[in-house]
Amino acid sequence: MNKFLLGRYINGDSLVHQMDARAKLALSIYFIAIIFLANNWVTYGLLLVLVLACVALSKIRLGFFLRGVSAMIWLIIFTVLLQVFFTTGGHVYWHWGILNLTQYGLVRGAYVFCRFVLIIFMSTLLTLTTSPLEISDGLESLMNPLKYLKVPVYEIALMLSIALRFVPTLLDETQKIMNAQRSRGVNFGEGKLMDQIKAVIPLLIPLFVSAINRAEDLATAMEARGYRGGEGRTKYRQQSWHLKDTNALIVFGLVTIALLYLRTW
Amino acid sequence: MAITFKELSYTYQANTPFEYQALTDINLTIPDNSYTAIIGHTGSGKSTLLQHLNGLLRPTSGSLEVNGQLITPQTKPKQLGDLRKEVGFVFQFPEAQLFEETVLKDIAFGPKNFGKSEAEALEIAKQKAKLVKLPEELWEKSPFELSGGQMRRVAIAGILAMAPKTLILDEPTAGLDPKGRLEMMEMFYKLHQAEGLDIILVTHNMNDVANYADNVVVLEGGQLLKTGKPAEIFASPEWLLAHHLGLPKTTAFAQELKQRGIKLPSLPLKEADLAKQLATMIGGIGNE
Repeated sequence: MNKFLLGRYINGDSLVHQMDARAKLALSIYFIAIIFLANNWVTYGLLLVLVLACVALSKIRLGFFLRGVSAMIWLIIFTVLLQVFFTTGGHVYWHWGILNLTQYGLVRGAYVFCRFVLIIFMSTLLTLTTSPLEISDGLESLMNPLKYLKVPVYEIALMLSIALRFVPTLLDETQKIMNAQRSRGVNFGEGKLMDQIKAVIPLLIPLFVSAINRAEDLATAMEARGYRGGEGRTKYRQQSWHLKDTNALIVFGLVTIALLYLRTW
Repeated sequence: MAITFKELSYTYQANTPFEYQALTDINLTIPDNSYTAIIGHTGSGKSTLLQHLNGLLRPTSGSLEVNGQLITPQTKPKQLGDLRKEVGFVFQFPEAQLFEETVLKDIAFGPKNFGKSEAEALEIAKQKAKLVKLPEELWEKSPFELSGGQMRRVAIAGILAMAPKTLILDEPTAGLDPKGRLEMMEMFYKLHQAEGLDIILVTHNMNDVANYADNVVVLEGGQLLKTGKPAEIFASPEWLLAHHLGLPKTTAFAQELKQRGIKLPSLPLKEADLAKQLATMIGGIGNE
């Protein structure tokens, strides 16, 4: 299950770890927005410097981020190829049917690649330095204004934290059932496509059964302890906004201004 | 089926911050035709050790040999298929592996995977369903309609149906009622005696160790602490206590007798032994 390591929270005490989850969440989303401001090498370079600085501040090895990229590599390659072959304009290097290899296409492909890598780095940074519970608390707090629109913010946050909480549990369960079925002669990920699809059934059915049973048990356990929904519930984990969070916002703001200036350069 | 571990170590998630060495330098031989009990705390490496036996895990370093097949860190997963047929693995709470439409089909799943035809596999399934005492009216039901104990039986029958030479049991009776426990443990013992099935049992229940095993392996913190016959392992209550392991009920009772001044000729492991010794002491077997 090594692959599932990607994006898993790594305990630490770096500046990025200490930041408020709300700040990290908001900035990660904001980053995805401002990456679309980048339109030339200088602006992409600036964003790369920003991302690498954040990574360095988190004191987490670069390898973890690269692993995040390698997990998505097929999606990236596919998108890049689409850009490369279907963009027209500039010097044409190669042409076959509807496929064109053009100057603009190559540049666009490279930009799309950079965009993907930067976004993956940034979102991996969020999940590596923020525990799932902090993320869901942060989300709840950020979504709070939506309450006035009658959005069930508390319920959404609860669903999210339960889902996150059970990811490792379900992974363990999957591993266990896979082992049990392997012991009964199933080969996962081997053989013809049809065999591979068939091999999934003995895994999925027990997994669904156990997930549903677990959900029922959880509901019973929560009700047994007097759970009555979000109204008037207090929080054990308090969130606190510090100067470093404000500073981070300022840095991102300055980067935005720089981007706006440099993109027309 | 002899099993030999040579300097075997295993590390989970090597080269990550979550790295965890579960087994260190295990040298161990499990003799042919034995009923081996593996005891130790939660987290002592029992489950990791077991998963090497049918090739679910491959050693990080060192090697093991199962029935003449050598498994090293370089062994390819594909070469381990035969091993799974020879070593049946009953996991903890094995009812989690049930998925088929009917009980019989689920039991027949293993043999079918190992090359038996549909009809042959169903025939084997019927035999094994009888063996684990599943009433015939349940055979065509969905396994999810059964009670917990019955589901456990179906799962175990599913493993036995592969006709393994060695059976690994990871706490097979956890969560069963006392009667079900006894029936199941007796069934395994009968299979061991009558059909020469090698058994490797992981348990926290020292009574089962005393009653059935002829070879005991004690693990602690991923290392091999001691191996020996049950009588050797249970001979020193102080040693067991120091390693947070319990005594079988009978042995504990005999210890208490000893403390009150009643000397038994040898340390009994099974109830019958204790009864015999006590009977001899009060005046011969004839007088009971």
